[in-house]
Amino acid sequence: MIGEGEPRSWRESELWAKALPSVALQSLFFLAPLVMTVLLTFQETRSFMLQWAWSLKIWTDIFSKPHYWTVLWHTLWMSALCVALCILISLPVAYALATRLQSLSGHVKVLITFAFLTDVTLKTFGWVLFLDQKGAANFLLERIGFPPAMIGFLYTDWATLLGMVYNLLAFTIFTIYLSVASIDRSLILAAYDAGASKWRAFWEVTLPLCRPGIWTGAVLVFLLSVGVFLEPKVLGGGKSPMSAELIRQTFETRVNWPLGAALTIVLMVVAVFVILLFSRVYSLRRYGAAV
Amino acid sequence: MGQDAILDIVDVEKQYGAAQALKGVSLRVERGEFVALVGPSGCGKTTLLKQIAGFENPDSGRIAIEGQDMAGVPASERPTSMVFQKLALFPHMTVAQNIGFPLKLRARAAEEIARKVREMADLMHLKPEYLGRFPRQLSGGEQQRVALARSMISAPKLLLLDEPLSALDVKLKKILQAELKRLHRSLGVTFVHVTHDLEEAMMLADRICVMRGGEALQIGKPNDIYYRPADEFVAGFIGETNLLEVEVTEVRADSIRYRGPDIADVDGTLPRALAAEAVTPGPAKLMVRPELLALAKDGERYPSAIAAEITETFGKGGAIQFRAVTPGGQPLVVEVPGTSHWPAKLGDKVRLGWMKRDIYLLQARA
Amino acid sequence: MRRVGQERLINTILYGSVAAVLIFFYIPIFTLIAFSFQEGRYLILPFQGLSLQWYGELFRNSNAATALWNSTLIAFVAMIFSTILGTAAAIVAVRYRFRGKLAFLGLSGAPLAFPQLLMGIVLLLWFSVLGRWLDFHTGLVTAIIGHVVYITPFAMIIVAVQVFNFDASLEDAARDCGAKPWEVYRYVTIPLLWPGIFSAAIFSFLLSWGNFYLTYSLAGSARTLPTFVFSGIATGSSPLYPAMATVVFIPGIVLVMVADALRRRAARRLV
Repeated sequence: MIGEGEPRSWRESELWAKALPSVALQSLFFLAPLVMTVLLTFQETRSFMLQWAWSLKIWTDIFSKPHYWTVLWHTLWMSALCVALCILISLPVAYALATRLQSLSGHVKVLITFAFLTDVTLKTFGWVLFLDQKGAANFLLERIGFPPAMIGFLYTDWATLLGMVYNLLAFTIFTIYLSVASIDRSLILAAYDAGASKWRAFWEVTLPLCRPGIWTGAVLVFLLSVGVFLEPKVLGGGKSPMSAELIRQTFETRVNWPLGAALTIVLMVVAVFVILLFSRVYSLRRYGAAV
Repeated sequence: MGQDAILDIVDVEKQYGAAQALKGVSLRVERGEFVALVGPSGCGKTTLLKQIAGFENPDSGRIAIEGQDMAGVPASERPTSMVFQKLALFPHMTVAQNIGFPLKLRARAAEEIARKVREMADLMHLKPEYLGRFPRQLSGGEQQRVALARSMISAPKLLLLDEPLSALDVKLKKILQAELKRLHRSLGVTFVHVTHDLEEAMMLADRICVMRGGEALQIGKPNDIYYRPADEFVAGFIGETNLLEVEVTEVRADSIRYRGPDIADVDGTLPRALAAEAVTPGPAKLMVRPELLALAKDGERYPSAIAAEITETFGKGGAIQFRAVTPGGQPLVVEVPGTSHWPAKLGDKVRLGWMKRDIYLLQARA
Repeated sequence: MRRVGQERLINTILYGSVAAVLIFFYIPIFTLIAFSFQEGRYLILPFQGLSLQWYGELFRNSNAATALWNSTLIAFVAMIFSTILGTAAAIVAVRYRFRGKLAFLGLSGAPLAFPQLLMGIVLLLWFSVLGRWLDFHTGLVTAIIGHVVYITPFAMIIVAVQVFNFDASLEDAARDCGAKPWEVYRYVTIPLLWPGIFSAAIFSFLLSWGNFYLTYSLAGSARTLPTFVFSGIATGSSPLYPAMATVVFIPGIVLVMVADALRRRAARRLV
């Protein structure tokens, strides 16, 4: 039928006029810099100045120093934990937003959106004030009569993890919410009609249908979390640096561009590799289950 | 004939990727005609409408309106108006603003627009208090009228309708079908109406174009198509029908000799005019409409008759439909006017007769 | 009876988790607001007193003022570009079908998933190399560019949702009525897409305002809000920064509420 929301067929000028600006933007200021970064990994530095000499020195450096890899491993591990926690916490919240809370859901969304959009440095600062030995948490605990449990929480990996989850939770809430909200209610009713209990229906119908949302959220959070440095530095006290901090140092203090570039590329490649690995396992399992 | 043709479609072809939606369709529409495009889904009727409206351009062929070639002319400049299937009423404009939109685009004065909007609303039997409301506040039937009003306010030469009534319930549909007929008669605008409802097409159209697979199979008056379809597909598509296997033994200039299993014919001949041109000696199909078969009572004689056993009965209120099967296994459908005392029941063995003038002989499908 | 108990338990878990998460989200925010009223110089509890003196201090602090101004400027310009580019990209993404569409979507959306610090660094490298060639330095402009690259995918997604719910036949109908392309935009497309565009604009503005990583790398020597606060965390903190935070929160929450109210009103008009 005419114009029934069907994608229209390709028409030259109209399409190009609209598509070109963002293609140009992203090519010029996203793709091209990425390509250049890759190129940089094949250069060298001498006494803090970049030399355009094509060599593999940086790569041999990287693969020979275990320090970079331990930090990378630590980063991947933290990111994985962050993803797991985000999903776990988001599931009930997204489900509640989508299926209960009809009138309140709009207000809850506004609150979450606002919290998400506020400055990450401010929020991290707020956490420091809360978690500090002489901070708000201990103060409130003492007031209620509990001992100050927040000693030694700040400036540990746990605090870093807390900060990471805090900053990225909104993403998984959003993606899972979209998945749950788009589930056709009649599918669940059909399950009840066929004799399934509420729990069974959830397990067999709702949860599998959320998978796209869970997966998208997981990928997004994972990719974003491998690049954080504010949380480990501020909340973690800089004691257990993650890859991004390392990269920042290479640029700022050591001014070794090729090294920094290489570390960046390695980080991204490994992250994408991990994701592909999991998606392989995930789809294998799906086919296995179908067979 | 050609002088007063308002729409001339010549050999239009349209391809979407690998699929050919229109394979050389030609159609000529006279001024003031009501033409219906019918066919199964995917036959290309909506695609053809899009080409006429100007939303797309054909890959080859010619479309001319009032003699003017429309190649390269965008939809906004063609003298056509379209009523969309989902009505496409602008939700953010009032009814009055919707109706007056075409005139606003032509930069007419506000008073003129207001006057014409009121005229249109009257014509479409829309209450004046609706003018200030929004489309979502009106019922389905009322929204239809708004859509019609909007499409006619600019006095288009051609009104194109894309299955506008298909989403309505039966009662409303009947009312609006009558409205369309009335409008067509009073305004004298040429209508091209796409529908999948055959009854609607038969009732409203001056001529019907049956399409399938991107081709126009038959174009003609409803009765012509109904009683003399071009082939088996059209015969079955345009209404319920019986197609009996027969064998043509001889074709002469003014008569045809034939015979068919189970058919008792008084002399085994038919006038040549009752057979399609393409019929040659060999297998053929004898077409007779269910309402033209009669349940022969004992002693009644018919020029042609066939024996059958009733397998199913359907009471349709104003008519009764029987399904039967011949001894040879051929299915038959008979329809008789409704009575309180049914002439047959399930399992009865009956004799069905018909008049020779009520049949049509078709070329058997290859 | 067991069924009802089970139901209640589930509901408690669900509602409870929402409440817990909301509290979780607002802990640092409320902490900051609370601390902004500290009278003493140090950010420790218990308070020495309650006062608004640090707000006053804030207004006198020229660095804070410059930082606020710069960030607002960047956010405003970034908002304009991101919204326009994002809207165009959204229309393309939803309405058109063409070869290479997948590549287009990937390219347009990728910056969203790219870790921000790394994107900042990659862009910094790019600008530095270009800068040597073309002789310019990092500063407000480069920060704006970086923000636009990062934020456009967000704007695109927000507008795309609106475009998706928009019946394409409405534009066809407008053209059928005789509207030229720009008239179609003026009378049909923009009025109907407007809530999505406005939401995208507000979202873009706030995303830019609150962005740390990109600004950190790309703003060069220009003072911006996030870097100002970051430097404040590093050196001995005073309640100046919580005061700054509270000042920053207010327009944020107002804007979000305005956007939501508008969205609701527009949705009602279109049902």
